[in-house]
Amino acid sequence: MSSHREAPEISKDPVADSTDVYAFVSPDRPDTVTLIANYIPLQGPAGGPNFYSFGDDVLYEIHIDNDGDGQDNITYAFQFQTRLRDPNTFLYNTGPILSLDSPNWNSRQFYNVTRIEHGTSVMIGENLPCPPCNIGPLSTPHYATLANEAVHQIANGIKVFAGQRAEGFYVDLGSIFDLANLRPFEELHAQYGMHVFSKPADGVNATAQLNVHTIALQIPTSELLRPGRHGESDPASVIGVWTTASRQQVTLWDDRRGENVNSGPFRQVSRLGNPLFNEVLVPLGSKDLWNSLPPTDDKRFASYVAHPELAGLLPALYPGVFPNLEALVKAGTARADLEAILLTGIPSGIVKGFQNYTGPEQADMLRLNTAIKPTEHPNALGVIGGDLAGFPNGRRVFDDVVTIELRAIAGVTVPLVDKSYRPDAAAALVTDGLTANSVPGGYLSHFPYLGVPHSGFSTPS
Amino acid sequence: MSAQSHPEPAEGPSRRSMLRGAGAVGAVGIAAAVGVGAASGAATAATRPAADNRAAGGAEHSAGPAGAPLVVYLRDAASGELDIFSGTSHTVLRDPALVARLTHAVR
Repeated sequence: MSSHREAPEISKDPVADSTDVYAFVSPDRPDTVTLIANYIPLQGPAGGPNFYSFGDDVLYEIHIDNDGDGQDNITYAFQFQTRLRDPNTFLYNTGPILSLDSPNWNSRQFYNVTRIEHGTSVMIGENLPCPPCNIGPLSTPHYATLANEAVHQIANGIKVFAGQRAEGFYVDLGSIFDLANLRPFEELHAQYGMHVFSKPADGVNATAQLNVHTIALQIPTSELLRPGRHGESDPASVIGVWTTASRQQVTLWDDRRGENVNSGPFRQVSRLGNPLFNEVLVPLGSKDLWNSLPPTDDKRFASYVAHPELAGLLPALYPGVFPNLEALVKAGTARADLEAILLTGIPSGIVKGFQNYTGPEQADMLRLNTAIKPTEHPNALGVIGGDLAGFPNGRRVFDDVVTIELRAIAGVTVPLVDKSYRPDAAAALVTDGLTANSVPGGYLSHFPYLGVPHSGFSTPS
Repeated sequence: MSAQSHPEPAEGPSRRSMLRGAGAVGAVGIAAAVGVGAASGAATAATRPAADNRAAGGAEHSAGPAGAPLVVYLRDAASGELDIFSGTSHTVLRDPALVARLTHAVR
């Protein structure tokens, strides 16, 4: 998955587990940038009576680097508080929830938003209500309208939303983690001699019926950039974005109070910039360490980008399908294409009319050139599909990051840095068989862009 | 007894080790939660907040209010050092005598 349950320790701590980060120029407000960080993976919509909520004991942050050093210049921090109207009922709600202050809604959540810049914290949103989870037609009969009430206009022209949304990331988990048995090509898989599959099949979107919890900001672009010229070719137009979740260092079960008590400084337990970075590139024994580190430490992990394990597996799992990739791997050639895409950004002169280079500092950040305006007819394959407004120029909610990264690792982006390399024909075709149309509810054309969450009544877990 | 404030370790106790330490009392690791008042006579270490400690919307580094939980973690008895957590602060206290009393208490 993008980063759902990607590391052993964080997989046991869903409320602090980041799943996806998106950063894009807002298509309906192109003078703004939308930043989204999703948490709490794989939510079954019917997961009551304690429906999903953010962690009151988690510090969520979205970081922006605007000068290319891999350190945040601006951070938006979120802290949540759950309040029960009546602790003497087991019910999440005692009747229909028709407004965010409904007396029928028992377990509500509120949050503060703080902007941190140059070491100064300013609270820009206080006591903002989240929407409830989407329970069903009796409890949340007008869900879309209700959730819209939870889009708040706060200081500095910023919109903010925090609450449940439909999962917009699509991936065939079942096939990918069954030894990369991509269904559209499963007859070509070595199958370990078992001959189980003899013809191609369609991909299956494992997240199609699931929800996530979203933190979304829509911010005037001028709030995020450093001073300078802000044309498409100007370095000052590029920002790096990532999210972190932190917990206080000590958690102790207080058996007298019947709850955890927390103490000590906040320590980072989850991090996410580019999709699949920690999930697919960083080895199992280092994933939780990676989660605890800042992007400036990513040079320690650069060898996993330059020599990705999956690039070596593809020729072995699909014999005869990736001969050029196999030769590249055997030659020990460092993947400068992947290093550029994931760790530094793509310099000018590589892709015509495009750059999102932040300098030589190797750091996993989602890099967005804010001067590149949204395309009228987007291509979910982003830059490799000729659409410079999509991944890896930031990431839009519908971008097909699984296919893009599979193809990149399979070698389709090597010619960006080595014109003599000819990618295997299969490299431009490899996919898990899904597209943005695999997301049943689709997406919104406006903030917060991710679709209305699936209801528990109509989508039982 | 000498109370000393140390620089924040480059890599403090991991979340995993802290959770484990908080849940298990053994010969090497001891975690204890006590009231601030109960510990006030033990040492006078200056509180040194962690560099990356920032709680949104409030004081960036704060010891817990009077009566708030205070957690002491003894990672390595041989070092004579105790990690003390309160509010959002972390203080390192070197106190071999206190360490000796704590380890004796759990035998």
